Amino acid sequence: MLATGRGFGKALLAPIVLFYGVFLIAPVSFFLIMSVFRYDALLLYRPDLTGENFARLLFDPFYRGIIILTLKIAALTTFFSLLLGYPLAYQLSRTRSAWRGVLLFLVVAPLMTGVIVRTYGWIVLMGSEGLINSLLVWLGIIAQPLKMLSTETAVVIALVHILMPYMVFPVFSALASQDPNLERAASTLGASRLRTFTEVTLPLSRSGVVMGSVLVFTLSAGAVVTPTLLGGKNVSMLGQQIYDLVLHTLNWPLASAVAFILVALQFSIIFLYLQGSRRGARAT
Amino acid sequence: MARAQPEASRLVESGASVPGFGALALRLLVAAIYLFLLGPILIVVVTSFDPTTAGAFPPKGVSLRWYGEFFKSDSFLAAFRFSLQLGLLAASIATGIGVITSYALVRYLGRRREFGQTLVMLPAVVPQIIISISLLLALSFVPFPEFGSLLAGHVVICLPFAIAGITASLDGVDAELEAAALTLGASRWRVLAEIVVPLVAPGIISAFIFAFIVSFGDAYIALFLSGPGMTTLPIEIFSYIQWESSPVIAAITSVQILLILVLGLAVERLVGLRKIMRF
Repeated sequence: MLATGRGFGKALLAPIVLFYGVFLIAPVSFFLIMSVFRYDALLLYRPDLTGENFARLLFDPFYRGIIILTLKIAALTTFFSLLLGYPLAYQLSRTRSAWRGVLLFLVVAPLMTGVIVRTYGWIVLMGSEGLINSLLVWLGIIAQPLKMLSTETAVVIALVHILMPYMVFPVFSALASQDPNLERAASTLGASRLRTFTEVTLPLSRSGVVMGSVLVFTLSAGAVVTPTLLGGKNVSMLGQQIYDLVLHTLNWPLASAVAFILVALQFSIIFLYLQGSRRGARAT
Repeated sequence: MARAQPEASRLVESGASVPGFGALALRLLVAAIYLFLLGPILIVVVTSFDPTTAGAFPPKGVSLRWYGEFFKSDSFLAAFRFSLQLGLLAASIATGIGVITSYALVRYLGRRREFGQTLVMLPAVVPQIIISISLLLALSFVPFPEFGSLLAGHVVICLPFAIAGITASLDGVDAELEAAALTLGASRWRVLAEIVVPLVAPGIISAFIFAFIVSFGDAYIALFLSGPGMTTLPIEIFSYIQWESSPVIAAITSVQILLILVLGLAVERLVGLRKIMRF
């Protein structure tokens, strides 16, 4: 650290402070504040305080259903990402293969192609004239194409596919930074492989699991593109509601309340997870 | 895994289990997971060469028909060009701000660095759709060109990645050199421009490329901020496949995959993707 350059340091930070302030914090705060404004068909909103937007979201069964469905899809996506991501991260952290770099690259590469490319891949696979159906019909297993798109399952499968790398990275770093001697010591002392894993490896990777779960949950709860393309009319999540309310219904205050709920859900999940992991850490 | 351990521990384990069954099962599982991760992307590339409809099985042959359609389609080509321009511009601004911010974080914040680094990651925890709508809303109050908000939104989501890459490179640079230059009378700006920037050049280039990749693949910021004449490629594809499905999309996405793959490999060669993704 180059001491005595406080003024210079501040000058260097000015652009980002300004940029985040103007293009992130100010607009997002204003948008979220709008959730307590009244809807007005002509003016977009009237700035008198009201709780009606939130009341509507919490008591209207339509919106309650959407909140519950969003939580369900996000929870399932997080669960399956962990189930698949953990073994992958484990293998990557323990392998001495010369291909390790390539294998890591192959986990990051799909992430970089963007969400549309990967969602489109699932349309090609699961469409009624898609690869899976054509293959099954050709093999004579089914006579009529199965309906795979426009289901919750399709959305969850694609979200797991799209978001799993976010689970793999933090778990991988937690596992890779473990001292390999700990596992060796456990097995020398007679612990079985399974016991070594459940009592040494797994607890020590908790921070990575927590981080990965928070990321995947947050990203899946806010999904719009994937549920719109793969869920059709049958799957409606909070993010899509915001999109509809802003672009079609033009009810900005209600959209803002939905956004507020989305952010509140995310922060409470992050909070609960951190609490849980802290308690767990104390127990071990 | 067991095989990676030195002789001593292998002796301990050799009686306990046949080296292999568990490990083999894990390997098969991992192979299946890779198939799941990469399969849907490879399928897109394969179907883009199929002369008939996408996903038909068995394939009816190999042709470049859909690539031809892509290069004949004005709307897709325009969107492709627009995404390229937007990505280059957003990545340039994000890298510029990223360089000075990272330098301040690493050299001037001292113990508050970690706090600063967390704050910088802010755009990554706010759902992108909310950033996008908020910028759209802000437009109704402030007379600001629409392209400006789209660009600003992209810079915001690119910044965390740019800063992560550059701070990682800066950590590998010895501060002594800078201190020496300062002692010899160079101004702090000159030290930054003539010593620091050349030293972390690979990190800066890879941050630029990564920021470009983030911008080019974005479908959330552009969801609300695209307008007539400024539709990004992902949004053009999104609105197209909501109504119809044509293998021309497979051809376009294959071109995009190729572009991203080349850029991604460049980043990997320069500093390593791990440093930017922070794992």
